[in-house]
Amino acid sequence: MQAKTSDRLLGLFLILLGVLFFVSIIPWQAQAADYGWLKPRTLPRILAVVLGLCGLALLIRPPGDARPGRFYWARAMLFAGVLVLGLAAMSWLGFVLVAPPMALLLMWLAHERRPLWLLLGAAGMPAAIWFTVAVLLDRPLP
Amino acid sequence: MPELSVILAGFGDALAPINLLFILFGVALGQFVGAVPGIGPVMATAIAIPFTFGMDPLTGIAFLVGVNKGGLVGGAIPAVLLNTPGTPDAAATALDGYPLAKQGKPLKATKMALFSSITGDTFSDIVLITVSAPMAILALRMGPVEVLGLMLLAFAVIAGLMGQSLVKGVVAIALGLMAAMVGTDPEHGSPRLIFGNYELYDGLPLASVAIGMLAISELLKRLSETRGTVRPAITLPRNQPRADRSVSWAEYWGCRFTMLRGAVIGTILGALPGIGSTAAAFMSYASARQASKEPESFGKGSLHGIAASESANSSVMGANMIPMLTLGIPGSVSAALIISAFMIHGIQPGPFLFSQQGQLVYGLFGAMIIANLINLWVGQLGLRFWVRVVSAPEPFIFASALLMCFVGVALASGGLFGIGVMLVFALLAYVMSAFGISVVVFIIAFFLGPRLEISLSQTLALLNGQPQKLLDYPFALVLMALALVTAVALARRRDTESETR
Repeated sequence: MQAKTSDRLLGLFLILLGVLFFVSIIPWQAQAADYGWLKPRTLPRILAVVLGLCGLALLIRPPGDARPGRFYWARAMLFAGVLVLGLAAMSWLGFVLVAPPMALLLMWLAHERRPLWLLLGAAGMPAAIWFTVAVLLDRPLP
Repeated sequence: MPELSVILAGFGDALAPINLLFILFGVALGQFVGAVPGIGPVMATAIAIPFTFGMDPLTGIAFLVGVNKGGLVGGAIPAVLLNTPGTPDAAATALDGYPLAKQGKPLKATKMALFSSITGDTFSDIVLITVSAPMAILALRMGPVEVLGLMLLAFAVIAGLMGQSLVKGVVAIALGLMAAMVGTDPEHGSPRLIFGNYELYDGLPLASVAIGMLAISELLKRLSETRGTVRPAITLPRNQPRADRSVSWAEYWGCRFTMLRGAVIGTILGALPGIGSTAAAFMSYASARQASKEPESFGKGSLHGIAASESANSSVMGANMIPMLTLGIPGSVSAALIISAFMIHGIQPGPFLFSQQGQLVYGLFGAMIIANLINLWVGQLGLRFWVRVVSAPEPFIFASALLMCFVGVALASGGLFGIGVMLVFALLAYVMSAFGISVVVFIIAFFLGPRLEISLSQTLALLNGQPQKLLDYPFALVLMALALVTAVALARRRDTESETR
C-alpha cells in the first residue's frame, strides 16, 4: 500500500516535471528554429511528453516496487552535506587542506572511533592521493 | 578484416612491459576492491578512468580491463567468506561457496571460484576475438536508418530487462536522454538546457555523471546505513590438509561441463545488451542443478555450484565487448565505462574501430588474454591476502573512495564544476534507486542519447518527409519491428509477472 502511494507520488511528480519542461524550461533553454528536420526543441519536448505519460501510467497503475522508506534519508543528506561543504571549501582552500578534515568527518560520522584507522583515513589516504596525482602523474589536484 | 601484420602488431603491443605492468596493477587493484563489499569493480573502474589520462590509450584501457577482470574474481571472496557478495553477480556463488567455507574449506571454495572465473572469462574472450571482426564488417554496411533501428532495439531490450517495471524503465530512458540533450544541438549548433553554464556547451561530462550515479550514490547509501557495528574479521583455519585448501585437477576437470555450460550461457547473455552477469550466474546455476545427478548437493557446498556461477558471470565481461566494439553499444555499465575511457582517449568505438584502430583493438584483445593469465597468477598468490581485505573498516574504505572520486572527476572534467555535477547526479541516483528507477538504464541512455539524436536527424533528412522511403531500408525495418516486438513482449511478461505476484 505504502509502496503504491510512493509510486503514485512519483507519477504526480513526473507529470509536473513533464509539464514544467514542456511549457517553461524547453522554450526558455532551447532555441526555436524554423528549418531542419529535427529542431532543437523537438526531442526534448517528446521526452517531456513521455515523462508526463509515464507519470500518468504510474498514477493509474502503480507497480508498487518503490521503497523510499527503506532509505536513511537524513543520514544520507548529512553525508551529502559534508561533500557539498567539502567542495565549497576546496574552491577556497584546495584539496590538500580540505581532504584530511573532510575524510576525518566522514569517518567519524560513520562511527569509526579507532585512532589508527582515523589517522590512516585522514592523513595516510590524502597523502597517498597527493603523491600519486601531484607527484607521480604530475597533474594538478582540485 | 585487419591484416595479419596489424593483428600481430596489436598482440605485440600488449606484451610491452609498461602494458604488462599496468595490467598487473589493474588486476591486483580489481581483486583488492572486488573483495571489499560495497566497492566492486564497476565503482573501481569508474574511479580509475580519470587516472588513465596520462597513459597511452592501450595502456589505460588494458589497465581498466584488468581492474574489471580482477574485480570479478575479487567479488567472489566476500561472497564465499561472509555470505556478502562484493558484487551482485557473485550472489549465486555465495549459495554454495559460503556453505563450503562454513565446512572449514574457505580456500578451496575461493580457489574453485578463481579457476572457474578464469575459465569462463577466457572462453568468452576467445569468442570475442573470433566473432567481433566479422560482426564489425556487417555493422559497417549499416547507414543512419539502420543505426536508428539498432538504437531503438537496444533501448527496447535495455528498458525491459533492467528496470523493475517497464514504465520505470522508460522513465529512466527518458531522464537519461533528457540529460543527454544538455549541450549543443547537433543539427543546428545552438546551446540547449545549459542554464548559462558555458562549461556545458559540450554536454554534461560523462565521467561526472557516471561516477556520481554509480559510485557516489552507492557510497552515500552505504555510509547512511552504517550503525557503528564492527564486522567480524575472517579467521582462516590453520594446519588444514592440502585436499581441504586446494582444488585438485580431478575436481576441476570433473566440473568441465558445468563450466562450459556456464561460459556459453554467460557469453550468449553478455552479447545481448542489458542482461548483465547476475542473470547469467543464476541461470547457469539453475541449469547446472537441473543437469546434475546430485541436485540435492547444491546449496550445501557443491563445487559444481561455484563453478556454474563463476564461469557464467565472468564470461559476460568478454561478451559485453562484442556490441561495444562492433556497434558502439555498451552491453553493461562496465562496458559503458570502458567506452567512456575510449572516448577520453579520442577513440570512437563502433564498426570503424577495426579499420581505423585495428592495432589498438587487437592490442586490447591481447591484453584481455594476458589479464586472464595474470588474474590466475595474482589470485593464486593473493587469495590469503585478499581475504583479510574484507575485514577493513567500511568508514575508512568509503571515505577513501569518496576522496578518490573527487580527485578523479576533477582530473577528468578539468575542475570543481565537474565535481558539482557529480554530486548533483549522485543525489538524483539516490532518489531514483529509492523509487525503483534503474540508474544503469539512465546511464546507458545518457551515453547513447547523442547518437540516437544524430541518427534520427540523418534518417529524417534521408526520408525527406516520405515515410514510404523506409521500405528502401529492409534491414532497418526488421530492426524496428524487432524493437516493437521486444517492447510488447516485455510489457506482456511484466503484466503476467505482476498478476502472478
